[in-house]
Amino acid sequence: MEEFGRKYLYYSIISIVFLVFTTRLYQLQLIYREEFGRKSEENSIRTIAREPVRGYIYDRNGILVVDNGPSYTVTITPSEFDSESTPFLASILEVTPEFIHERVQKGNLYSRFVPVKIKRDLDFRTLAVIEEYRYQLPGIDYQIESKRYYATPARASHLLGYTKEISDRQLAEFGGAYRQGDVIGSTGIEASYERVLRGQKGYEFITVNAQGKTIGSFEDGKRDIRSEEGFDLYLALDSHVQAVAESSLTGKRGAVVAIDPTNGGIIALASKPDYDLSIFSGVTPPEVWNEMNSDTTHPLFNRATMTKYPPGSTYKIVLAAAALEEGIIDTNWTVNCSGEFRIGNKIHKDLHVHGPVAVIEAIKVSCNVFFYQLILKTGLEHWTNYGAEFGFGHRTGIDITEETSGILPSSDYFDTLYGKGKWTEGYLVNLAIGQGELGVSPLQMASYAMVLANKGRFYQPHAVDSVWNNRAKRADRVEHAERQLKISDHTWDLLREGMFHVVNSPGGTGRAARITDITVGGKTGTAQNPHGEDHAWFVGFAPFENARIAVAVLVENAGFGGTAAAPIGRRVMETYLKADSHKSRLQEEMKTVTARADL
Amino acid sequence: MESYLRDQVDWKILLITLTLVGLGLISIYSATYDAGASENFYKQIVFTGIGLFAMVGVMLIPFRTLQLLSYVLYAISLVLLAGVLLGGKTVSGSTSWFTVGPVSVQPSEFVKLTTILAIASFLSSSNVDLDRFKYLAGTFAFALVPVLLILLQPDLGTAIVYLLMLIPIIYWAGASGFTVIAIVSPAFAAVAALFGLTPFLITIALILAAFWVSKRNRFIAAIAFSATVLIGVSVQYIYQSVPTYHQRRIDAFLDPHTDPLGAGYNVIQSTVAIGSGGLWGKGYLQGTQTQLNFIPEQWTDFIFCVPGEEFGFAGAFLVLLLLNLLLFRGVRIASTVKNRYASIAAIGVTVVLGIHMVINIGMSVGLLPVIGIPLPFLSYGGSALISNMMMAGLLMNLYANRKEY
Repeated sequence: MEEFGRKYLYYSIISIVFLVFTTRLYQLQLIYREEFGRKSEENSIRTIAREPVRGYIYDRNGILVVDNGPSYTVTITPSEFDSESTPFLASILEVTPEFIHERVQKGNLYSRFVPVKIKRDLDFRTLAVIEEYRYQLPGIDYQIESKRYYATPARASHLLGYTKEISDRQLAEFGGAYRQGDVIGSTGIEASYERVLRGQKGYEFITVNAQGKTIGSFEDGKRDIRSEEGFDLYLALDSHVQAVAESSLTGKRGAVVAIDPTNGGIIALASKPDYDLSIFSGVTPPEVWNEMNSDTTHPLFNRATMTKYPPGSTYKIVLAAAALEEGIIDTNWTVNCSGEFRIGNKIHKDLHVHGPVAVIEAIKVSCNVFFYQLILKTGLEHWTNYGAEFGFGHRTGIDITEETSGILPSSDYFDTLYGKGKWTEGYLVNLAIGQGELGVSPLQMASYAMVLANKGRFYQPHAVDSVWNNRAKRADRVEHAERQLKISDHTWDLLREGMFHVVNSPGGTGRAARITDITVGGKTGTAQNPHGEDHAWFVGFAPFENARIAVAVLVENAGFGGTAAAPIGRRVMETYLKADSHKSRLQEEMKTVTARADL
Repeated sequence: MESYLRDQVDWKILLITLTLVGLGLISIYSATYDAGASENFYKQIVFTGIGLFAMVGVMLIPFRTLQLLSYVLYAISLVLLAGVLLGGKTVSGSTSWFTVGPVSVQPSEFVKLTTILAIASFLSSSNVDLDRFKYLAGTFAFALVPVLLILLQPDLGTAIVYLLMLIPIIYWAGASGFTVIAIVSPAFAAVAALFGLTPFLITIALILAAFWVSKRNRFIAAIAFSATVLIGVSVQYIYQSVPTYHQRRIDAFLDPHTDPLGAGYNVIQSTVAIGSGGLWGKGYLQGTQTQLNFIPEQWTDFIFCVPGEEFGFAGAFLVLLLLNLLLFRGVRIASTVKNRYASIAAIGVTVVLGIHMVINIGMSVGLLPVIGIPLPFLSYGGSALISNMMMAGLLMNLYANRKEY
């Protein structure tokens, strides 16, 4: 054959091909190995999230208040889903095809291979239909999740709060561990303790073939991550007292807050009208949701922590405290109550003609004239400062997010409201008897009752006493602040003496709060309301010495505090204290029985 | 005796061929292992046995006889190819197989070999001048007859191989660079046109420059260049005027990522398989892409993914290396044999194997469009395997007779 220089061209071409392919293999297998490795895993390994069991919630006696039960959620894996089955699925689930389409689209953005939740809390009939047609519905599956069950007659709707499917906004905010269709605590304790209650999702890895069919668990489940149960909460709540508080408010609008004055634990927190939390635990139909929101009585509104009403005469103690502590008056300072009080050309009437009254008597009979005179003598600044010292105008710091700070007027406040120099002392007289611009919540009032019961010891009110850390196997007490009000014991004794007489002396306004065998201290209030009937208030505590419960009761548009609110306060306190004595009696009896058996 | 064997047997080709066939069997076993197609592995073992006989047979046929029989074999194979269209079996839309009892034969695989032999025979006449139209046309005619028959099956991939192999063969047989450029430039222009206006303009500029540099027959150059421009422009025009879904198919052909679930699916899965193999692979029978059947019918055209995924860069490189060594060896034999027929036959066989390798591996690693042709020696398929082994046998035969004029 002739001498070909051409063979070198052929050798070159082969060499070039060899180099190009070697480079390509190097690029694919060594440079992009990670990326392709991940892709091949994504191909063949599906991650299935396993929902953790949400933490249980117990009351102070260890009674299970919030339980979990099974709930079935239907899911779609976008990669396997045949969109032609959308209308059929929509008819089974009673949702619109657009809804399913939208959900699948959103899921697709995250991953085609991860099931997206379409509808939760399926009833058994729907579940059976899906099971029956499953072979026609590729990519459709269901998961067993837990949903909340409320185990006691106590609703405690506003304190416990509800869980709800996570919204797009929340998803954007929290991201991370949450996926569309997950539930999240929305209000109350469920929201504020979401982080401990929710637990940690588990993940199961399974191997699937190209058709998406499950071949088995990936690496025999060695890489699976078990879901971690949420932590249980132990509340200061007494579910029995809570139920009594709620039933006492049946048919009324108002709130009851009971605090354990020894530590600030919330024994009961009732707000009426309320709602059944279980309607939120599964799927909340939009109709129900709209109805709730448009209800003019606002059942979703937490009256116990969010209302800002004038406290009426219950607030007179604050003024008395200011005047006594600042040495402006002593117990002998007397006002002659003629049944009316004139300032400028305005006449403020009292309900009764009390005659000459000193401070303790004035608290007992709730003499307005006395306090009108007293605030003029004491002045706004002291009144504001002592209100603030008692905690008004500030949030108590309760461990749920829904709380108002209320309104505690000061001279600055009036200056802003009316303009400097444009308001007169006449504005103050209303404040003296807890009317006017002053706004407080029942929770603040209960905290106020606690401070009076404790002679100045304040404990940050809290619903959750401890969290059971199931990983570390220990109960973590929830930390809370405490402080001592800067008021002398002598003043406390005087104020408390007044509160003793309110309930226990003839002529006291709070006599309806008396409990057999237990001494109660309290103060009633009747707050004028420009929109209708007066709001009835009662604050109290018992036993008078070493109090174990402090309450605040608000009944809207119910008239006199002494008749509408004090009896509720009594019922709540009595239930709590008598149940306690009942329990201790039982324990005593048990001891006796054991002692006898020993003999 | 030992020196005789060393002189008469090309051990390099034999060793490379047997290693590749072995790697093929290992890969096919893995690819079919969990795909419900393991009978294909056993069939391939049988084919390997037949292939060994065929290889040795071709190796031992006296080389003169082979040359004399070239046209006869070509004619017989064409008859078979035509026969397939009449009485063949249709698989995935192509009528490419004859069924004889339990065995299916794909004549187009063998026609590659007979066509090469016929062309070699034709071009080995002493008066052949490939820069003259009649010889060029004659050479093309040998290829075009089977191409037409194969396009009727239809099997575009195999037809492309027939056309592509002609270029290196005629160049080897003496065609001038000018002639080669004149032939290939329209095809280049057509492909470039599909990629858009700029690549097209660059391509025709390069072609024009090539004609200018070659300084040959200006008249023919002008005609060839006009044809090139015309073809390029019409391809673009056709692309613009076909319905959008056709355009999409063309786009997906050129870039699989535009259609990841359709035409591009196999390529993407194949690159994922190879890429995820890393340096040493996931281990034999441990490749998730392979074992979980992410690449449909992987044991045929995408067999390269198996060593790529399960033995990693090491495995894929070995296959690539062996194939390239074989090609080197083929060119070496073509350039050492004294006989012109032998030289052209050797280069033809080498070119066919090379084209198969380039297109197949290029497709598997995502560098070239998907054209369904097998990887020599590795892909499942009896006809291709036996034909490839016969080609190896032919190279060995030519080596043994390298000193004959």
